[in-house]
Amino acid sequence: MSKIVSLAEAAALIHDGDHVALGGFAIARNATALVHELVRRRVRGLHISACILGIEADLLVGAGCVESVVYSGGSLDRFGQLGRVNEAVERRSVAIEYMSGLALTFRYMAGALGLPYMPVRSMLDSDLLPPLVAAGIAREERDPFGGGALVLVKALVPDVAVVHAQVADAEGNARVLGPRWDNDEAVAAAKRVIVVADEIVERGEITAMPELTLVPSFRTSALVHLPFAAHPTAVYRRYDYDADHLRLYAEATRSQRTFDEYVERYVRSTDHAAYLAAVGGEAKLAALAADGRLGY
Amino acid sequence: MATRTGAFTTSELMVVAGARELREGELAFVGLGIPQVAAALAQRTHARGLVVLNEIGLADPRPVEFGVGNADPRHWYGASVMGGFVDVMGKLLHRGLVDVGFLGALEVDAYGNANATEVRREDGSIRRFGGGGGANDIASLARSTILIIRHERRKLVEKVAHLTDPGRGVRSVLTDKCVFGVDPSTRRLVVRSVHPGIGRDELRDATGFALDIPERVPTTEAPTAEELRLIREVIDPERLYTKAF
Repeated sequence: MSKIVSLAEAAALIHDGDHVALGGFAIARNATALVHELVRRRVRGLHISACILGIEADLLVGAGCVESVVYSGGSLDRFGQLGRVNEAVERRSVAIEYMSGLALTFRYMAGALGLPYMPVRSMLDSDLLPPLVAAGIAREERDPFGGGALVLVKALVPDVAVVHAQVADAEGNARVLGPRWDNDEAVAAAKRVIVVADEIVERGEITAMPELTLVPSFRTSALVHLPFAAHPTAVYRRYDYDADHLRLYAEATRSQRTFDEYVERYVRSTDHAAYLAAVGGEAKLAALAADGRLGY
Repeated sequence: MATRTGAFTTSELMVVAGARELREGELAFVGLGIPQVAAALAQRTHARGLVVLNEIGLADPRPVEFGVGNADPRHWYGASVMGGFVDVMGKLLHRGLVDVGFLGALEVDAYGNANATEVRREDGSIRRFGGGGGANDIASLARSTILIIRHERRKLVEKVAHLTDPGRGVRSVLTDKCVFGVDPSTRRLVVRSVHPGIGRDELRDATGFALDIPERVPTTEAPTAEELRLIREVIDPERLYTKAF
């Protein structure tokens, strides 16, 4: 059965107040087009999480869609900071659960395994731990088998995980190439999974190398087929990040006024096709195409 | 700050000092910039078996050009294995197999505790940065850490504004003025070597915590001609990280 839906139909599966695990890592494999659609739909009150936040999170926070952020870090790498996320944290206009990357991954893993919590040896004797203990999502305990101090981190079960994949078949078997950071655990923990894929292939291509499948069809709620849906971030073996656009975005996100102008021009007044045209069209996209040997 | 002390820049000196902190056969996380150049130099000199890990989920890359961060596929090229966070940060780091993490920081205190989260502006408000990511995991779980930071009063502080990465396993702290080791009895940072041309007063003035400078302290060993050739011609020919700081 085909899981393919339009971008708007996929975005409609994300409701006000949902917890959404975002699949990007800094400037790699962000589900940007889907996030644009959420901004256009003026979704509100989202709780978002990812080990390393990227432009996905910054767009959602800057556009006022977010109530809380669960994360360990985030940036546009050397292009700059996530200006909207950092300012919202400074001004406490979003709540945060800030923890080590492994602690957050283990929270997803506990969710993925149906366990209530997971022990981890990070964060002891640091300023990360007390706020998490106060919020009731971490506890410091002794190893019951005599092995010393442990931190128990509470399972995280997102309502939705959003992930960008290089390819998928129409049934929703999604293949991700390259490193997968926290994607395996976040996807497995989530109640619903939305996949955005650059290319749709025959099932036979997936089953020829099933070990590369990140999301099996029976865990995929909806699949969107949209080339360059991760622009301006990099998709390994398909296209490079767009340094020009990331520079432009990094500058825009330094203030709410310039961010709002950016969103008006590149998000609210466009659809995905118009966005790609606005960022440089065919010539730009051709220049971003990955070299088969290098992968970027 | 492209200071040339003799025939090399301060950042070249830091690369070489950093490389010498890395040992043959180690499993290492190395941050962007000078740590990465240092690891590449170590791999071409005394530590051919040094294996670099990237928290994004890969090991032993052999990049042919520098990128903009961990998420840049330029830093993934040539990796022998790709997986997820759990494969690297879990099954290697949490498992206790990682020897060293070479990390940057916003602030470091006299005990090597590092801040990777936020600093206080002069008006008292908080300036938030990108966050530590896996840095706390590395500081908590690797056998040792090497920290790198610009040597300024506001960065080498008595108390960090946010203790993100505990200094439990600090091997050394590398700055643009000196190399710190750790006094085994007090656990405080102690100057191990001073970079050429840096005086004791300058060092003390640029440090925000009470500084312990031994009576006789060696000068940081200068790069060899071969090390400079490797940095300039092989590792960083574009001079992205070794022109200045």
